[in-house]
Amino acid sequence: MENYNPLNALMILPLMFFAVSWVMPKAVLKLYAVFGSLTILAITLYQSSSLLFTTVSSVAQSYVIEQRLTWLPGLGIGLSLKLDEISVWFVTLTALTSVVAFSLRGIWYRKHPRLFCSLGFFLIFALNTAFLSTDLIVFYLCYEAVFIPMIFMVGIWGENQKATSVFRFFLMSFFGSVLMLVSIFYLMNVYHQTTGAWSSQVSDLMTLSHSRSANSLAFAFLGFFLAFAIKVPLVPFHGWLKEVYVNAPMPATIWLSGILSKLGVFGFIRFILPIFPELCVRYQGWLVTLSALSVLYPAFLAIRAQSPKTLLAYSSISHLGFVMLGVSSLKATGVTSAVLLSVGHTLESALLFYLLYQIEERKEGLTLTYPHGLAKRYPTLFVALFLSVMASVSLPGTLNFTGEFLVLLNAYPVSALCTILSGLGVIFGAVYMLKFFQQLGLSKKIDVKEDAGATIRDLCGYDLVLFAAIFAVILYGGFQPAIFLKGN
Amino acid sequence: MHALYPIILFPLIGFLSIGIAHLMATRRNLRLRGAGVIATIFMFLSFAYSVFCFFALRKTESGLIEDKLFTWMKLGGLSVDFALRLDSLSIVFVLVITGVGALIHLYSISYMHDDETPAKYFAYLNLFCFMMLNLVLGSSLPHVFLGWEGVGLASYLLIGYWYEDPLKVNAGQKAFVMNRIGDLGFLVAMFIAFRYSGTLDLIEFQKTTFPPHILPAFGLAVFFACTGKSAQIPLFTWLPDAMAGPTPVSALIHAATMVTSGIYLLTRLFPTISSSELVLCVIALTGALTALLAAVMACFQSDIKKILAYSTISQLGFMFLGCGVGAFSSGVFHVMTHAFFKALLFLGAGSVIHALGGEQDVFKMGNLRKKIPITFLTFTAGWAAILGLPPFSGFFSKDEIIYQALASPHGSHLLFGIAMVSAFLTSFYMTRLYVLVFMGESRVEKSAEPRLHESPPGMTIPLVILAVLALIGGWFGSPVHLGASSEDGGSLQYAVMGCSVLLALLGAGLAYRKYSGRVKIETTFDPFKIDRFYEFTFGKGTRGFSEVCARFVEEMVVQRVLRLTSAIVDLSGNVLKIAQVGSVQAYLMMMLLAVIAILAWFFYGVGLNGKL
Amino acid sequence: MELQPWMVLIVSMIVFGIGLLGVMIRKNLLIMLMCIELMLNGVNLSFVAFSKIHHLIEGDLTVLFVMTVAAAESAVGLGLVIALFRTLRTADSDQIQMLRD
Repeated sequence: MENYNPLNALMILPLMFFAVSWVMPKAVLKLYAVFGSLTILAITLYQSSSLLFTTVSSVAQSYVIEQRLTWLPGLGIGLSLKLDEISVWFVTLTALTSVVAFSLRGIWYRKHPRLFCSLGFFLIFALNTAFLSTDLIVFYLCYEAVFIPMIFMVGIWGENQKATSVFRFFLMSFFGSVLMLVSIFYLMNVYHQTTGAWSSQVSDLMTLSHSRSANSLAFAFLGFFLAFAIKVPLVPFHGWLKEVYVNAPMPATIWLSGILSKLGVFGFIRFILPIFPELCVRYQGWLVTLSALSVLYPAFLAIRAQSPKTLLAYSSISHLGFVMLGVSSLKATGVTSAVLLSVGHTLESALLFYLLYQIEERKEGLTLTYPHGLAKRYPTLFVALFLSVMASVSLPGTLNFTGEFLVLLNAYPVSALCTILSGLGVIFGAVYMLKFFQQLGLSKKIDVKEDAGATIRDLCGYDLVLFAAIFAVILYGGFQPAIFLKGN
Repeated sequence: MHALYPIILFPLIGFLSIGIAHLMATRRNLRLRGAGVIATIFMFLSFAYSVFCFFALRKTESGLIEDKLFTWMKLGGLSVDFALRLDSLSIVFVLVITGVGALIHLYSISYMHDDETPAKYFAYLNLFCFMMLNLVLGSSLPHVFLGWEGVGLASYLLIGYWYEDPLKVNAGQKAFVMNRIGDLGFLVAMFIAFRYSGTLDLIEFQKTTFPPHILPAFGLAVFFACTGKSAQIPLFTWLPDAMAGPTPVSALIHAATMVTSGIYLLTRLFPTISSSELVLCVIALTGALTALLAAVMACFQSDIKKILAYSTISQLGFMFLGCGVGAFSSGVFHVMTHAFFKALLFLGAGSVIHALGGEQDVFKMGNLRKKIPITFLTFTAGWAAILGLPPFSGFFSKDEIIYQALASPHGSHLLFGIAMVSAFLTSFYMTRLYVLVFMGESRVEKSAEPRLHESPPGMTIPLVILAVLALIGGWFGSPVHLGASSEDGGSLQYAVMGCSVLLALLGAGLAYRKYSGRVKIETTFDPFKIDRFYEFTFGKGTRGFSEVCARFVEEMVVQRVLRLTSAIVDLSGNVLKIAQVGSVQAYLMMMLLAVIAILAWFFYGVGLNGKL
Repeated sequence: MELQPWMVLIVSMIVFGIGLLGVMIRKNLLIMLMCIELMLNGVNLSFVAFSKIHHLIEGDLTVLFVMTVAAAESAVGLGLVIALFRTLRTADSDQIQMLRD
């Protein structure tokens, strides 16, 4: 295999697991899924360890891994993969989020478990390829391919109005993606007119901005912007998010909030910023304003949210507004802090949804009508939840604070007003996250009869180790973010 | 270089070890009894090391000890270290925090004797001390912010410690959120500092000159943060509610240490802040008004802890007044003496509450001086200190501030007047409290009488120590030590001193006249109803706005955008559906027309180009 | 007058035209099938004419091919019409609207 590259492992391994999951016996499928995702995580860390753990940017440059396989040479489309400082974090996050998502026990392991596992691994494959690719067509294919597992997951194991929610989710995202596809073709066409060759590589299309005026590319910019703005999501394109998050089964929600939203952020960083530099500068005001709005508006919605999952969904949008604020500062330092914050956001939202599911599991075991006052019964679980809430609220000492602080620091010179408005989001974050925690854990003691089938124990074993590992990363990043920042 | 990290290391180890042990114990339904002793030992170790550092500091030439632990954040032009720095300002705070903190830990062992989860309590207390020490020892603004938010967190945990009561939990939440509102000011100040100076190190960034229009913004942002943390106007309503926590917590956090962080921050930033007249004016005026407002409100309270809470707000107002007229060192001096006598008063109140089995209403107490003598004597010491009677500690610090309010170049007659009235009211309400609790006729409920007993030595020993400090603390901590100018104010200063002592005695006398003997039972009265106002405007306002957002904006705008996409699809489907008539012949006709059109276009094109 | 190829072309045009018109205008399914056959035969004629004009044999071969396919297709078509008649009891193309929205 003369073309073998370490990056291929990141693509082939999930596919292998995908294939094997169809023949696994149903009883061991959860174990298999967790084992598979842990293996993928281990291999990812191993492959990218030199890149991940350097703290100096120039050294990190030397560890970048690239690969280029031609596919349609006539059109200049090929499978070109690149693992650099930015994509390495997203690829690692994919693996980590999948570990968390697969670790939940639920109806998806009882009803059509093989389908669930294979969908999950296919999702990992598509995400890895999307994050690694620097070719626009391949990226688009994987971007769309991500919908398939999502639609199935929400449609089969979701609850309430799964059909309408997934329909709206798909339709809105697809609307943006189609515009992006048209923009891609337009760009390729323009490139062909300018240089006579066909290519869909980002590195080639970047040169377009030198030769063509900004105005001619404005339409393409709009197409890309809409597609990623819907994905992130930025207010006012966020309408699809709440329903899908709430109606999806919990692993799907973890995948959605943990990594699919990062696809949009990644799209901004990898494609929009390099290809349209002048247009970005011209529309920076819009970007910053929309980001600040994305921080503040969902915070208001979260205050009044009735169910915990809705609240977490809106809080997710709010945090992603911070990330976009960092991206819209258009500086290398701003983008790096945005990546840092998105790592933090993935970790804390995965933890929060994971622990929320644990609580709901136990609530069902106790047959309560509402989960209040459970902190006394399950102290470790609620300590874990409180720590995750503190991470979400960006308490200094957590990775989230470092990311948010650096993002705001870099955004302040761009627009003081928007930075202060986003700071208000910090205040509201405290309000609704504390409300979230208090509603679930504190308040009056619940009188539960001892024989109410409450055999589910406190957070222990594998769950506890998983939580501790992830929270350790959050704490570590809070004090030593150097490996994330790479002294940029 | 001298190592400073043991100061913060001891409470950290205490927190982690006790916390983890607590978690493991609760899983097995055990109760850890020794936790309090361990926590107290760690605090005393920290205090001992702080004393050691104090002497080390005096031996240094620069008056500064620095201990860099590791590099924290490094991005672009920003470089923030996690380093501890000790100078003459922070050593005062460190000694107070570790010393008074250790005493309160000792007190808590007895006070929380009957609690179900003492380990959790002591873990939180140690966490608080760790965070507070980080706040005063931090060498850069983000490090101070780490401690700043950390103490907010510890405060939340401790106020809502008895979390089964939703009222207490809400009080904790209110404290956290109000602190957070102030934190926004801190963040903005950091952004401004970084933007104009490129560094966030506390010493470095103050060396740059800020543009004149930015300087007030910076100062006001910092002061806004201080109002949140130190309970000044407008962010003070959380402090009375915070009395829901255990009394030692109120003593430590809401009297001696956390609420004084604002003074620390202002003093630390004093080169930058004092360059702006506007900022100093705002600080002084806010401090004075808060002192007055809180003093008035304290006169109408009937809960012993709430009286002390409003007293704290009022005294903090004095401290800010001192800072605002440029006398930062006297503000810090008052921090120290206030820590002594306010902690003493709170712990004494705790002793009274403990003796009465949980009663907190002042009008159900009375004539306790014979029943709980040690508490009575120590409380008297605290009362004398807060009144500002010479030669006790409060006299030195409070009088210095009042004098500076008049004599300092930033001072004014107005500020002086307000300060004097507040001092008078302080004397009045404190004596009211003192008389109602310890003197006159006993109004104690019959059911509580048999259990009246003096507190155990674990509680009385800290009381005695604090009483001694409250009495003599003024002598060794005068502003000269903190680097203020030691000019003698001359006759004006003596006149002010005399005046304030007279006013104090007058207030005390009035209160004694009114409240000894037969007393009319008063209920708590809120003259300004600020809390209700906040709840109405901000609380309801935010909730109402959220409702509007969710119902109208979300529904109408956003969902419409969403439905627009599906509407486009539907529309296009409906339009194209017109062609599906279902009749074969119609289809055939359409095919024919299409073929003719294609052929025509083809030949037209051929005709135009002349070739295919 | 000798038979010229262009005459055959004109005839084939006419035959094709009649077939096309018949398919569009007539309602009866069997008549429509017959008209389709007419169209095919018209095209056959034109193939023959063109093969004569260009002296190629491919045209004649195409005619054979088309005739075979036409025969198969009309067999299938007739079978469909009969099946449809059995269901609908009518051979009127206007009545076949079940797939219409």
